[in-house]
Amino acid sequence: MIESILEHINYIGAMALFIIGLYTVLTHNNLLKRVIGINIMETAVFLFFVSIGYVEGARAPIVLENGETLFVNPIPSALILTGIVVAVSITAYSLSLIVKLYQHHQTLDMSEIMAAQSEDRS
Amino acid sequence: MNQYPIMMMVLMLASAALIPIVNVKFKQHLHAFIMIVMSALVLLGIFNVKHVIAFGESYINFGGYRASIGIEFYISQLSSLFVLFVIVLSWIIILYSLKDMDHHIANSKLKSYYTLVFLMLFALIGLSFTFDMFNMYVFMEILSLTSAAIISIKDKRENILASFRYLLLNTIGSLSILFGIALLYMVSGHLNMGELYRSMSTLIELYPMNLLLAIGFMFMGLAIKSAMFPMHVWLPDAHSTAPSPSSALLSGIVVKVYIFTVIKLMVYVFGVDVIRTLQIDVAISILAVVGMIMGSIFAIGQKDIKRMLAYSSVAQIGYMFLGLSLLTSAGIAAVMFHIITHGIIKSALFLSAGSIIYKTDIRDLRQFNGMGYTMPLTMAVFSVAALGLIGIPGINGFMSKVYLSLAIVDGGQPLLLGAILVSSYLNAVYYLPIIINSFLRNDPVSQPNMIAEKLPNVMIASMLVLLLAMIVTGFYPQLFMRSIESAVAFLGL
Repeated sequence: MIESILEHINYIGAMALFIIGLYTVLTHNNLLKRVIGINIMETAVFLFFVSIGYVEGARAPIVLENGETLFVNPIPSALILTGIVVAVSITAYSLSLIVKLYQHHQTLDMSEIMAAQSEDRS
Repeated sequence: MNQYPIMMMVLMLASAALIPIVNVKFKQHLHAFIMIVMSALVLLGIFNVKHVIAFGESYINFGGYRASIGIEFYISQLSSLFVLFVIVLSWIIILYSLKDMDHHIANSKLKSYYTLVFLMLFALIGLSFTFDMFNMYVFMEILSLTSAAIISIKDKRENILASFRYLLLNTIGSLSILFGIALLYMVSGHLNMGELYRSMSTLIELYPMNLLLAIGFMFMGLAIKSAMFPMHVWLPDAHSTAPSPSSALLSGIVVKVYIFTVIKLMVYVFGVDVIRTLQIDVAISILAVVGMIMGSIFAIGQKDIKRMLAYSSVAQIGYMFLGLSLLTSAGIAAVMFHIITHGIIKSALFLSAGSIIYKTDIRDLRQFNGMGYTMPLTMAVFSVAALGLIGIPGINGFMSKVYLSLAIVDGGQPLLLGAILVSSYLNAVYYLPIIINSFLRNDPVSQPNMIAEKLPNVMIASMLVLLLAMIVTGFYPQLFMRSIESAVAFLGL
């Protein structure tokens, strides 16, 4: 039991992080905390993806003269580089939206902003 | 080899990069440039469909890598037709936006708006053609960033909030899709859709848990992005606050491409048998029926015209998922026809609502009394489109309901017909009062003589094209249906 947990600790950790991130996004009212939650979720998925390509005791996939053949799978790492770029752009864009919301409302609390706007509408 | 899809994408990317750096003195030059690019795109789309019909479906491999390690595009008949529909509809909407955007944003922002729209079209074309799971994720992220940005470009505070919520939920959706992709890659070692399909029979025996989790994550993500009923919370705000051309683009095109992605995943990746074995289709059909009815019920209570149209989209998305859940070729053909129908009708509705807002600044449905006298042309387009959504014969909405009902009867689930009937009644409950109020009730303030409204020509032209499309496809649905059916036959269901 404990051995199988230790063997899959990456996957369990990724799942736990994903749930923590989702919980943060869905329950917190602070806009910045929501963006942080998204970032935690992204990190969880990246950790999961990179763990798939990991091989115990293997080297980085650079072919050398000395004939070693045990390499980690480079594809997940390459994909996650793209994923990180996407994550950064989403974070930057959502932070810029938060700046604008703060300028309009002088608060970062989602429920206050929603209340102010629904008052506007009616 | 069929190079047209690559040419389309390069054209979009290059012109999106060109727009902000070219110094234009007059706005007319910018407009001319945009329409020339869009017309070239339409031509390329037509050539692509012709090429696919003449020479058959083909694959494009980028960079000369094998399909299993490189990125592959699959140019199927269905995706070519879908891309042509996307391009033609966005041509019409962009023609409308040339004048209407002046009303929403400052002149200095026009360039960035069209850059975003072109990048969005680039992602839409890529998402329809791609045959690689990770590539699909990247296009989805480009699409969600650009589509959130065309909402927030109108610098009002409700736009920014709507755009923020849209971005947040969309990102959760993309992340759960990426999680699903990771779970599939973990057990199969493939990202290519064709390779995944070939290994599906061993996966379901050896790793049923992984497969079920992956399908669950991916469908949950796509359900958020395509606003399936309980995950639709972002849609009303996003579609109603956006500038009218953006609303039409988002509601007519962007939501549809995610439904098209669901079709691709069901047919090309998992295969219909796996979906049936895991009973995903039952879950989809239940959510679809609830969405069809609840979306309409929410729409009844709305006072803002664009919010009402947005809730009506939620109901119509239910129809599409209902057709998908049948998993038959007749069902998918009906869904494709409804995608086209709803794209035309909903754009017509949003553009005519946009014209009313452009001319009178009235968004409140209670002030629509006598609108048919002040804006006869706009309200005529609106009424025909609304009657089409209710399902009056002679307009294409009726034909798509007929095809959907026939597919449901074929699929052996006649109880679902009741849901279509109830939803149609509910549609009538919220669309008919608008038509009656605007044409039969007089506004005490305005004089009762009818004069054609003075809207900019491009806005009238694009609305009339949509009106014509609705009526022509209402009387001659075979024009579209024949090519859709022959394309769906290639799916091999």
